[in-house]
Amino acid sequence: MKKKLLAAMAAASLAVSGLAATNVYAADEPFGDTIKYDPSAEINNGEDITVELWEWGSDDLFQSIIDGYTEIHPNVTIKLVNNPWEDYWTKLPLSLDGENGPALFNVHNSYHENLINYMAPLDIPVEDLEADFTGVEAHVIDGKVYYTDYGMMTGTVYYNKAMWEEAGLTEADIPKTWDEFREVAKKLTIKDGDYLVQAGLSFNDDFHQNYLLGLNYQLGENLFLEDGKTPNVTSDAMKQVMQMLVDMYEVDGVGSKDFGEKCADTFGQGMAAMVIQWGHYYNTLNTTWSDIDFGVFEIPTFDGEPYAYNRYNGESTFGINKNAPEDQQAVAQDFVKYFLANDDAQVAFNLAMSTFPAKKSLSSDERILANPSLSVLAEHIDHYIWPGPMPSTVETSLKTAGQDIFFNGVDIDTALESAQENMIRDMKNSSFQSVENLYAYAK
Amino acid sequence: MRRKTSKVALNLILLVLGIVTVYPFVWMLSSSFKQNKEIMALQQYLLPQQFITSNYVNMNAHFNFLRFFVNSLFVTIVVTIAVAYTSTLCGFVLSKYKFKGRNLLFGFVLSTMMLPWCVTIIPKYSMIQSFGWMDSYKALIIPALFSGFGIFNMKQHITTLPDEILEAARIDGANEFFIFHRIVLPMAKNGISSIAIFQFLWTWEDFLWPYLVINSQEKQLLAVGLKMFNGQYSTDYGALFAATAISIIPVLLIYLFFQKQFIAGIAASAVKG
Repeated sequence: MKKKLLAAMAAASLAVSGLAATNVYAADEPFGDTIKYDPSAEINNGEDITVELWEWGSDDLFQSIIDGYTEIHPNVTIKLVNNPWEDYWTKLPLSLDGENGPALFNVHNSYHENLINYMAPLDIPVEDLEADFTGVEAHVIDGKVYYTDYGMMTGTVYYNKAMWEEAGLTEADIPKTWDEFREVAKKLTIKDGDYLVQAGLSFNDDFHQNYLLGLNYQLGENLFLEDGKTPNVTSDAMKQVMQMLVDMYEVDGVGSKDFGEKCADTFGQGMAAMVIQWGHYYNTLNTTWSDIDFGVFEIPTFDGEPYAYNRYNGESTFGINKNAPEDQQAVAQDFVKYFLANDDAQVAFNLAMSTFPAKKSLSSDERILANPSLSVLAEHIDHYIWPGPMPSTVETSLKTAGQDIFFNGVDIDTALESAQENMIRDMKNSSFQSVENLYAYAK
Repeated sequence: MRRKTSKVALNLILLVLGIVTVYPFVWMLSSSFKQNKEIMALQQYLLPQQFITSNYVNMNAHFNFLRFFVNSLFVTIVVTIAVAYTSTLCGFVLSKYKFKGRNLLFGFVLSTMMLPWCVTIIPKYSMIQSFGWMDSYKALIIPALFSGFGIFNMKQHITTLPDEILEAARIDGANEFFIFHRIVLPMAKNGISSIAIFQFLWTWEDFLWPYLVINSQEKQLLAVGLKMFNGQYSTDYGALFAATAISIIPVLLIYLFFQKQFIAGIAASAVKG
């Protein structure tokens, strides 16, 4: 418990100290890699100006980078407006539609279609962005980038160290393949007759996010067909993944659909030995479930040489409101440039979100690698793929398919076909275009 | 004997219903003294296993709780007083004055109650934007000055007041202003109390409209603040319960003080159509 608390405090202080260090750049020296920020350049001709930055969730994090920026430019005031996550997406488009919307706003790519028409392109050359950041190409629209990723979030395996030791497992037993993983899960499972006492693995309520929408890549199958629009969830790869999930519960007996509603909570409650979760879970474990002594390892593969290890999603850089007054837009452009060039801010934001830095120069940064959920990704980070800002129906339809299979006795083929039909119907009017073809190792 | 048995049975049913109604509140209050891991633990206990007060002490970590609380109190009190007054005034006119189009006007008032709020929220938002009232309490108070429900309720209530009293006052030389303020208002206090309680509750709890029109943190209301505890990936339940426990104090107080008038007012407005 104490160790966990110390680790959480250390991580928090690292994030804050990282941001505190942004003030180091209050000097006149230009900084950055290809994208350079020149602190000596005057903003708004030195005249006072106020802009708003809307975000959700992390006031301290955003305020710290604002403080670093306004220390360099004391004539600029950036007013931070915090919002509740869910309702932000109702209010933001309404505000951006008028003249009084925020000049800067935090973006999540799942709301891409709602926001993109209100955004101004970044004033930074695309080639400079591509030189410094991974995944920029997927964000290019008609030769312009409106926002890109500062971090990549994906799934890793979290395991309970105490249960691991009790099962007689050591570091050497960390599985590399799914077959090994299933054997380890069996060893971690405790039963009292037919009654499950401890699940070796739980994926309840999360199989669509962490398995169905990612492991298909390990088998060389994209989520969308070549046209980039038609879902590909009836593929053999998807069926194989779904069958593996069913077998893990129904053949191996390492977990149960009735053993805990949400696998993330079941792991936190000390009822499951392993769970696959995305990066944000690292922070949840350190705050909500601080009693759990956990370890992290990279997601197993089927054969050790996957086409891609998993799907990732990007945490996005700020959006700039194209309807904001020009002087405010100029400040916003400058602020985004400051954010992109500033390594300490990049590290702090990535640590706070538990995302792997998209900034290439930070892939081996020791502060990043001190976070176990990120260090396990470092070796193969270039083998993770982003399909683009998928409409929510892709997730929800696959979730329904899984529920139908586990709870309603529907066979895998029928459930996936139904999901496919549902997605096609829902995406009829969507402008979504997959960017799987831009993956570095795309076939 | 039979009567006594049915009375006991009725009381038992009411007791069970009472417990079912109150239990979530007690659980929330108790959980506001628990850590998040205890709130989400598999093994649940009503009382905290480890009693903590940090959820209350650290409430300001998410937003300036006291500021939001005072803002909410101000807006709610202003709107409640205004609605109680305008509803009584309109109710008085619609029930005691005979003029052409009275029923049409009343029908129009009733029709405003039949429109779902989500239909009007976008045009209302655009109007507020074009008036330049965004991020100002004008956007919260002025559109709420008149309530269809309040007018309907007060019309029903004031109809039950005897016309003779008003006629007698007129014969004694009282003008309409005097009659309304010195006779109708005091006699309609039960109806006013019920409207005031409803309006207080609605305004206090209203989230979406204040959230849409207020941007500045220093002007924001408590209902919006409570939503800040719901993060993208997790919810700070302990802090949320602590803040909610405090936020319902004004509502409880209002109801406790005006309970008698509230029940009388509701009963009276239901008597005559």
